[in-house]
Amino acid sequence: RKGCEMPRGTCQTMCPARELRDREVQNRLHRFEMLAGTERDRRPKGDPLRSVKEYSRPAAGKDLTNSADLRPPAVLLKTVCYLIDDIAAAARGYSFVFDRLRSVKQDMIIQRVSGLHCVAILERTVRFLIYASYRLCGEPLRLYDPRINDTHLQENLSWLLDCYAAGTEPHPNQEEFQALGLLYNLGWSLYLILPDGLRHAPAIKLALSINQAFLERNPVRLLRLAQRLNFLQCCALHRHLVICRRDLLLVFSHGYSSRNCRFPLDRLAQLLSLDTALTIRLCKDYGVGVNQDNQVVFSKAAFTEPEQGKLRCKLYHSIGAPGHPAEEAHFGRLYPGSCPFGHDPKLIATFT
Amino acid sequence: MAHITINQYLQQVYEAIDNHEGLFCAELLSFKHPHVANPRLQLASPEEKCQQLLEPPYDEMVAAHLRCTYAVANHDFVEAYKFQTLVVQSFLRAFQSHKEENWALPVMFAVTLDLRIFANNAEQQLQKKGKGQPGEMLEKAAEQLMSCFRVCASDNRAGIEDSKKWGMMFLSNQLFKIYFKINKLHLCKPLIRAIDSSNLKNDYSPAQKVTYKYYVGRKAMFDSDFKLAEEFLSYAFHHCHRSSQKNKRMILIYLLPVKMLLGHMPTHQLLRKYDLMQFADVTKAVGEGNLLLLNEALSKHETFFIRCGIFLILEKLKIITYRNLFKKVYLLLRTHQLPLDAFLVALRMMQVEDVDIDEVQCILANLIYMGHIKGYISHQHQKLVVSKQNPFPPLSSVS
Repeated sequence: RKGCEMPRGTCQTMCPARELRDREVQNRLHRFEMLAGTERDRRPKGDPLRSVKEYSRPAAGKDLTNSADLRPPAVLLKTVCYLIDDIAAAARGYSFVFDRLRSVKQDMIIQRVSGLHCVAILERTVRFLIYASYRLCGEPLRLYDPRINDTHLQENLSWLLDCYAAGTEPHPNQEEFQALGLLYNLGWSLYLILPDGLRHAPAIKLALSINQAFLERNPVRLLRLAQRLNFLQCCALHRHLVICRRDLLLVFSHGYSSRNCRFPLDRLAQLLSLDTALTIRLCKDYGVGVNQDNQVVFSKAAFTEPEQGKLRCKLYHSIGAPGHPAEEAHFGRLYPGSCPFGHDPKLIATFT
Repeated sequence: MAHITINQYLQQVYEAIDNHEGLFCAELLSFKHPHVANPRLQLASPEEKCQQLLEPPYDEMVAAHLRCTYAVANHDFVEAYKFQTLVVQSFLRAFQSHKEENWALPVMFAVTLDLRIFANNAEQQLQKKGKGQPGEMLEKAAEQLMSCFRVCASDNRAGIEDSKKWGMMFLSNQLFKIYFKINKLHLCKPLIRAIDSSNLKNDYSPAQKVTYKYYVGRKAMFDSDFKLAEEFLSYAFHHCHRSSQKNKRMILIYLLPVKMLLGHMPTHQLLRKYDLMQFADVTKAVGEGNLLLLNEALSKHETFFIRCGIFLILEKLKIITYRNLFKKVYLLLRTHQLPLDAFLVALRMMQVEDVDIDEVQCILANLIYMGHIKGYISHQHQKLVVSKQNPFPPLSSVS
């Protein structure tokens, strides 16, 4: 039957000519898209080499399948590389990159792109969204909405894992992304369904152990294992760390609840993977007492949950060694006020 | 019946509709009925014939049904799904026009059931050809079922006897099947809420109630509400018909782990009866506090447990296993002040190699927090001090 054929894109630029013209006229170009030298003009010109198709919501009567407005898979991949390598890595542009990645995904869905191009695009998108979920944590809602980022991340991730499962060709990065999926979604059984060969791959084994520690509510073990993760894996895990540290204090508040007992502060700091100053602060947030001799006094009656929104995840972002020059170099300009993070030599490979 | 002509068939449909014979009409539109194998009815373009004998929208519905039998005869399930969707849509138009009557409910059951089955088959066919997103067809089918559900749920005018609300539980069950398959459990919630607030919820047929409780029980299990899961799954198990051994086994796959978490271990006999020996070693290991055996059993049957979606729940049994192991340490040492080293030795004996005293303390603290051990840890003395009375309360009293 006719009408069932997939639309095939013919647009060879990142932004369809018609859209570029329209947005030029409507003055709706992003500053990353303006032709150098015209930014200050009353009506800046669009740079066809730097403009990217924006996301537009499907609506009744709107034809999204016009092939001149759709980019074929190779152009989509090129677009994603441009967005992540040239924009995300060099400038401050989360919302720009996020929106344009969304339009890439839309083009993929309309054309039902599958295979290696699809995998390559999704892998890059997932890395970006995972990184953003860490780096922009705590930013004001108008700059970054964790819930929307999460929804997109989950969609892209599960699509990616489906691609791995459906295809017959080998995927060199499958181990990396299965592990990221596990770490980002601790405690979700969906991500345990692993292809046979991968279950014993090092990154997956580590992620599975962390998952197990999470299920057993053994934060000591979890935080200890987390030290062995690389940078991006830490980003994926990071959203669970607030709960994990809270669990540690909660469980210890019950286990060590005795009037005469004390617990050394530096020991607790070690277990929490925090420095002593932050440990004291965290204890205070949860009502756990620390006396003048730097001893922690656990008591199950004293433990209290902090008020919603009072605890700032970002304060406690350190895992392992602080500050890493590679991250600074690559992402320092993405967002100001960068915070320290674990060292990872793979980082450079990750975002290029 | 199997070889009637198209005219005879349409005549039967006409009379069934005219006389409001829901059950008979359902048969005439169901793929469980032998007429679908009748080559005289498998027509590529039956529209005109149907228009001659039937009123709209029934003509459309029956024509789509016949085209569907044609597609199924050609093993084209993508096509079959498309026409079954048409069947459901035209049915729904007719159904909405039935004011204050519900004789057509059996028809709805038949056509929606087939819709889900064809969506499943179509999806498999597409996947084999490497086309389509997984879950795509089922999601579309779910949308159709939801529109039926809305019509049923909003039927507030008719009296109980004639209410379309009697269709809600059947549709929920079909939707649950889809949502579980495509892993969108959160979509179950509004359905559960709708049924819960309905005054008919206890009066549906036993078969529907068993299916319903089975899915709601499984949902509760994934939400870690084990008490509720036990209640629903137990109900399903006890009310499931004794001849449906396969269904009882399916219920047990979820009921067993929940029961174990609450401290009730299944007997060997039960496991044997339902061919669930995969659980035998797990049961033994948890009961004995044998972590080594537990780890072995879990990895040996990993694929089975993961496929059933209970691997994570079984992992939680580890906590109970720690409790049972540590209780043994206590019984051996016969003191209320237990050196932490003793627990470390016990864990090492179970070949838990990479564990140290910090983790032992954390495991103990968690057991105390959960109420499995009554006592406290003294960091200074490196001891666990347990209560003189009942330091390891029975599991059923804890969870």
